[in-house]
Amino acid sequence: MTSRIDAAEAARVMLAAAESGQTAAAATVVASGAAPELVGQRLVLVREARDPQLTGHVGGDGGTRSRGALGDPRLEAEATTLMDEAIADPRAQDGLRVVQSTIGGGESTEVELYIEIRRPIRELVVVGAGHIAQPMAHIGALLGYRVTVLDDRPDFATRERFPDAHRLVRADFSDPFADVPIHDRSHLLLVTRGHKYDYECLIRALRMDPAPAYIGMIGSRRRVRATYVQLIDEGVPDNLIERIHAPVGLDIGAETPEEIAVAVAAELVLLDRGGSGSPLKDVERVAERFFGHEREEQEA
Amino acid sequence: MTHEDDRALTEALIAARSAGRRCALATIVSTKGSTPRKVGARMIVDPDQGLVGTVGGGCGEAEVIESAQRVIETGTPERVRVDLTEDFTTWSPAVCGGVMDVFVERVDPAIDPTRV
Repeated sequence: MTSRIDAAEAARVMLAAAESGQTAAAATVVASGAAPELVGQRLVLVREARDPQLTGHVGGDGGTRSRGALGDPRLEAEATTLMDEAIADPRAQDGLRVVQSTIGGGESTEVELYIEIRRPIRELVVVGAGHIAQPMAHIGALLGYRVTVLDDRPDFATRERFPDAHRLVRADFSDPFADVPIHDRSHLLLVTRGHKYDYECLIRALRMDPAPAYIGMIGSRRRVRATYVQLIDEGVPDNLIERIHAPVGLDIGAETPEEIAVAVAAELVLLDRGGSGSPLKDVERVAERFFGHEREEQEA
Repeated sequence: MTHEDDRALTEALIAARSAGRRCALATIVSTKGSTPRKVGARMIVDPDQGLVGTVGGGCGEAEVIESAQRVIETGTPERVRVDLTEDFTTWSPAVCGGVMDVFVERVDPAIDPTRV
């Protein structure tokens, strides 16, 4: 961690990390009262995905690599702590953090760090390449997911039908994920041509370790109920069953395949960002709160 | 910023440096109120190729481009405060009602060790 790393090299390292299933963080000095020469210095950490227990030693041992420097060992230690906290908190946002640091062992001074995180790329794995999969792959790609579509019928999972999918996989539904690595940023949507296949994939998905971020399964209320009864009969514990999103998507009255894809996409955004799923009009009640109030005052 | 945006921007940065072009990278590091783009949005100001990405467009972006030109010249990073809180009644498309801080830094061409 002696040599400097510039914005281009940092972007390259962090992108490569995210694409290979690792988490990367960077701390950049954007203001430093007593030591303006530190502004623009940057420290990048890359953390192996599968070992959250590692403590992020600066220097690169034990599952964390580092690049760059902040020009001061204490500031680097502070920055590393902030990056570790941000990596550990899935809701952490990129942004400024202010630290008090003693640069070069001198007086304490205020340093502003811009902390950014790149998490492993989000994947959308659409199981079944039928009429819902097509708009779903499209919207998924639009939302920034890396989309994989798999089917056991070679003439369905084709490039013509899925122009913006990252991968098209021909897979046997008895072992659908053999060639598709699933991690905790994978989102699975089960939309095969038959509920029997959906069920087989569902059982496998529920037993995965690490568990995928999302498991959605298409089906009417009746179908979903039958699936749950079957899962309970097979001894699948309730806490796993509760993880299944079925019937799938938000309640927006979706009927066509395109509308269903929008409802599922809305559910994915909701899980990622948080929110109520209700119209903002009803959540914020802008007119009612402000105009109504003012009108009452005028009338009084 | 989506992963695809990130990739496009990173590739443009790498392309500029391997072509030996000096450019500037602008990153929104904080926002207050309503701004067209959020923290993390980035834009490359490449004097030969123009802009890649956006930090929001309009007047605010013009201030950032001016700063980028200075930064490319001097190499000293700048922090630009862009104020979009002008009167709503102007109906300017740049009026969003927020304030954002944009960090602008220079990206130099890769130093080829065989030529040093």
